Amino acid sequence: MTSSVHINVHHLTRVEGHGNIVVNVSDGAVEKCEWQVPEAPRFFESMVRGRHYSEVARITSRICGICAVGHTLASVKATEKALGIEISEQSWKLREVLKHAENADSHILHAYILVAPDLAGAPSVFPLVETMPDVVARALRLKRLCHEWGSCIGGRTTHPTMVVPGGMAEVPSMKELRELKEKLVAAVPDLEATLETVAALAPNIPAFDRPTEYIGLANDQNYGLYDGEISSVLPDGTKQRYPVADYKLVTNEFVVHQSTAKYTKNKLDSYAAGALARFNNNYDMLVPEAKQAAEFLGLQPICTNPYMNTVAQVVEVVHSVYDSLRIIDELLEDGVKLEPLVKPTKYGSGADSVEVPRGILFHEYEYDADGFCVGGNCIIPTNQNHNNIQHDFNVLVPELLDADKSEDEMELALSMLVRAYDPCISCSTHALDVKFVR
Amino acid sequence: MSGVRYLVGLGNVTAGDDAVGVRVIDHIWANGLDRGFTAIDLGANALNLISYLNDETEAMLVVDATQLGLEPGEFLVFTPDQVVTQKEQAGLSTHEGDALRVLDLAVTAGYAIPTLAIMGIEPLAMACGGLELSDRLAARVPDYAAAAIEHLLKM
Repeated sequence: MTSSVHINVHHLTRVEGHGNIVVNVSDGAVEKCEWQVPEAPRFFESMVRGRHYSEVARITSRICGICAVGHTLASVKATEKALGIEISEQSWKLREVLKHAENADSHILHAYILVAPDLAGAPSVFPLVETMPDVVARALRLKRLCHEWGSCIGGRTTHPTMVVPGGMAEVPSMKELRELKEKLVAAVPDLEATLETVAALAPNIPAFDRPTEYIGLANDQNYGLYDGEISSVLPDGTKQRYPVADYKLVTNEFVVHQSTAKYTKNKLDSYAAGALARFNNNYDMLVPEAKQAAEFLGLQPICTNPYMNTVAQVVEVVHSVYDSLRIIDELLEDGVKLEPLVKPTKYGSGADSVEVPRGILFHEYEYDADGFCVGGNCIIPTNQNHNNIQHDFNVLVPELLDADKSEDEMELALSMLVRAYDPCISCSTHALDVKFVR
Repeated sequence: MSGVRYLVGLGNVTAGDDAVGVRVIDHIWANGLDRGFTAIDLGANALNLISYLNDETEAMLVVDATQLGLEPGEFLVFTPDQVVTQKEQAGLSTHEGDALRVLDLAVTAGYAIPTLAIMGIEPLAMACGGLELSDRLAARVPDYAAAAIEHLLKM
């Protein structure tokens, strides 16, 4: 058994934002084992106060550059709840397609650029350009497809402009929808190749199992990315649903010393959100092609290996492509026209939720009689996963010690575990910092 | 050539002057100045630059806050081969943006890079939670837009 370990990963690479891994073991005793989140608060809930309801989603979409669609949708839905707005079926379907675009976009990025290097034994995606050029080219091709997919519906994928309270500010033309359909159909060979690539790398996915509660959105019509009730599934398959309005009774946020982000828990000491949580809760609602993909990749519910979250993401990419094709066909059959925005029928408070790539996201707002926001609350999925990551660490570290893993091997296993959750810890700055060489 | 010219703004609008690239695009759109080119706000997702690197792109000017050692508010237009990035980053990501690293990936992956330049604007303050540019940079947004458009159309 490994008896002495000192791991200090400062600002883990290939995750969004900053997190540290600290493990100290002396004479076989674990003295410290922490997933630390040092990010500063960003005060979005304060920024929206005093803003008109038409502005709130514009601000909250900036919480994240990759989940901007999800934050926009959660924000607009919560605002619509607060203002007594019910959108049309057309708006609902367009938003579902947009949600699919974001999901696929983020998952492609995560699987190919953030996780694949670990599975291929590379320090980053850059060496893979030399050793796996077709794979990297395919990843960038799919990323571009997702950007165009989201832009078609949302105006742009990063901080979309077309989703507004009351419906959609603009809608794609029938020609644009037909072109989108053609692009998605044309991407199927790349999807199939993606499954082959993942299957080839899958033997390098670490084996780890920890019974976990999984939380996600669920409904009785579809996979639940855009709308539903909160669903919990326990390792023994026991399921329970809760109204979204009761989200605080499920999340139960609390503060811990090693994290500036709050932790959450429900029935067990922690729970997981994300693709694996959705898969475990909603497997029956996957399209047939996605179920086939899951079977091909050896994923079945209820899977309690967090490293398989990336595999669940790839299954969801397949689901998002095929489910979008179904919805687009419905829109083409019915025709798409610009509709007036549905106006508020009341001013009060409301909470709603969507699934963003990393998991279930909650937004809640209260508006005064003039439509200005007097308070907001956002609980993001990565915050909900931090506690689960810590509990994974608590079990994984002793297992790695018992297996006589070296310090480097342990550091890699813990890093890969965090990356598997695809955490999105903060938005940082984008300014360049350069030195002239010519 | 008669391809598309892109003027791309990058930045985080909740981080003060980091958003100057996006604000330049906002100004262009608000004043209908996008004639002869397409203005793109990529916000906090620099990786999507790759979506615009294709055979149809004739030229691209990226506008971004850049620490150049100039007086805050001053700007410089340069090409990627003239500089090396000094930015400490945890890695390639869509959050912690570094357009230079994204361009490196595109070059390495064999993408056709069009005539491309970066307009770097020296920030004054990039405080998290700041929804507005500093007064110094805000006052010059029209100048930045005019300079960017002039440069792009000459590229």
